[in-house]
Amino acid sequence: MSSSPEKPNLDSPLKRPPSWSNLWVKNKKAFNHVLFTMHLQALTKQHNQSTLTPQPNKTLDFNHPTLVSDRTSLLSDEILLHILSKLPKSQRNSNSLVSKRWLNIQGRLVRSLKLLDWNFLISGRLFVRFPNLIHVDLVNGSVISPRNSGILLTNKLLSLHIDSNFEPKGFVSDKLITPVDEIDLGLKVLASGCPNLRKLVVFNASELGLLSVAEESPTLQELELHRCTDQVLRGIAAFQNLQILKLIGNVDGFYSSLVSDIGLTILAQGCKRLVRLELSGCEGSYDGIKAIGQCCQMLEELTLCDHRMEDGWLSALSYSENLKTLRFLSCKSIDRYPGPDEHLGFCPTLERLHLERCQLRDKQSVRALFFVCQAVREIVYQNCWGVDDDMFNSASICRRVKLLSLEGCSLITTGGLESVILSWKELDSLKVISCKHIKDMEVTPTLSTLFSALKDLKWRPDTKSLLSASLPGTGMGKRGRFFKKPQDWKSLLDA
Amino acid sequence: MATTTTETKMLTLCTSDKQQFQIEETIALQAVTIRNMVEDECASNVIPLPNVNSKIMIQIIEYLKKHVDSSVSKEDMEKFDSAFVEKKLSEIFDIILAANYLNIKNLLDICCQRVADVMKNKSPEWVRRTFNIVNDFTAEEEAKIRKEHEWAFEGVDED
Repeated sequence: MSSSPEKPNLDSPLKRPPSWSNLWVKNKKAFNHVLFTMHLQALTKQHNQSTLTPQPNKTLDFNHPTLVSDRTSLLSDEILLHILSKLPKSQRNSNSLVSKRWLNIQGRLVRSLKLLDWNFLISGRLFVRFPNLIHVDLVNGSVISPRNSGILLTNKLLSLHIDSNFEPKGFVSDKLITPVDEIDLGLKVLASGCPNLRKLVVFNASELGLLSVAEESPTLQELELHRCTDQVLRGIAAFQNLQILKLIGNVDGFYSSLVSDIGLTILAQGCKRLVRLELSGCEGSYDGIKAIGQCCQMLEELTLCDHRMEDGWLSALSYSENLKTLRFLSCKSIDRYPGPDEHLGFCPTLERLHLERCQLRDKQSVRALFFVCQAVREIVYQNCWGVDDDMFNSASICRRVKLLSLEGCSLITTGGLESVILSWKELDSLKVISCKHIKDMEVTPTLSTLFSALKDLKWRPDTKSLLSASLPGTGMGKRGRFFKKPQDWKSLLDA
Repeated sequence: MATTTTETKMLTLCTSDKQQFQIEETIALQAVTIRNMVEDECASNVIPLPNVNSKIMIQIIEYLKKHVDSSVSKEDMEKFDSAFVEKKLSEIFDIILAANYLNIKNLLDICCQRVADVMKNKSPEWVRRTFNIVNDFTAEEEAKIRKEHEWAFEGVDED
């Protein structure tokens, strides 16, 4: 080990340090550094060594006197890649700055990327830096937004910076959106640069842009089309391996574009291998949903987000014969005039129904929804408005429910919950979180017997009744006050 | 050790500094490179390993001996591994090169992990100094990359 008595030069951190011990010193905190500098000035060389060596610190590894050449230069690219792949993703940008070789190798590890600057794509720089991309999100790059304005406009689907010159009709005027022909050009460049693309998120593209991607990237499986229109969907059939598709038509306050039955029909006939479909802010009616059900035989998951379907569409769901999951997100209504039960039909293979942030105030439509979904095994309510006991009671038409999850449904009472779940003979999992009208104190002995028979119970209706789900056997909390009578508890244990 | 037969087949490994190591075949065969040599019968009794010196070979044999023992529990093996990589970085680099040449996957893996752990959350300047890497970017190039990191893209890979 060697320590030079001179003061370490902090002004040029990039300069190669004279010895490993000095290097070590520089990397300690400022306080240590000051201490050590004082030592250096005051003590002899020998003393220096004795102050350094006894510290049981990993950094002592670097007190290696004879390191002259770049250690990593001996490693093959593959090994360096292996090492870099073990580092957190957040360190990637920083590692790229080490040297040209590292920039290159680090770039090979990046698989997914969100583009922010359209020129980064057009100039081809994107592919120079990241040759192995399989997932590219172009949305933010497609919006010309003043990124340093300090005003961030956020929606579930989109988040962008705006300045104060927004237009009254919507926040995102056409001036802010990269024109269609530039987007299409970008897609062409992207397709030729990333032939192995799996997932692509685009904004404001035309069918021509999509076609150029479809030609060059036959592996594409997942596509998200923001500001999608019926016209754009004419290009969709060219994606032969497309399995997951998300269409975003209207986004309140951002933009509005129209996806109607025409688009849905084109989509249905073009994408027969579709497994998951999400329609966000899309219009349409019975005909579009029917076409999808009839043509997309492999469709397993359908998500409707803020839908604008015409009344009566719900009865077309039963055409989707292999549908397993149905999700409603942020829907203002389900279907106000679903028509008579005999025309509704139901989805025999449906397993999961998820309702999230939906307004469920219309009894008729909720009843019709459960009629269509009568075969479900799992029902999830999350932060839905208007679900009272009466509304919730519609769910008792479903006989095979195994799992119920209620979260943030404040109108349902203990009695309302009890009357429904007692009718479900196959129920084995129950989750009740943040439902303030469901109360511990009102749990009847019948209900507690049912709880003890469940496989999985998460019971946290309000903050006062935090029960540990870890209790073996019943899955319920240890607090006796859960039960009205203590003898119930004993009889349970005996049984 | 694992073998109970009276005669254990031995292999002789010859390192770059002409040292010879006699070890049981079952131990040596964990290294895919050695196994291939034995299977292809391109080596006679003595297997030359020109890319490994004796100092590193000793450590590798120590590792292989432990890992051939199937009676060691998974937990103990992990303990052994983490103690094994508590070495100077320079040695770890040498072991990485040897493990790569001999094709011992797990050893390569734990050593790479060790290097990664040292580098974790460190600045590029720190990495350059520690591994003595020359910064071959011009100031403009570096500024350009930094600007790209700031404005051009966002990584979305999850950890």
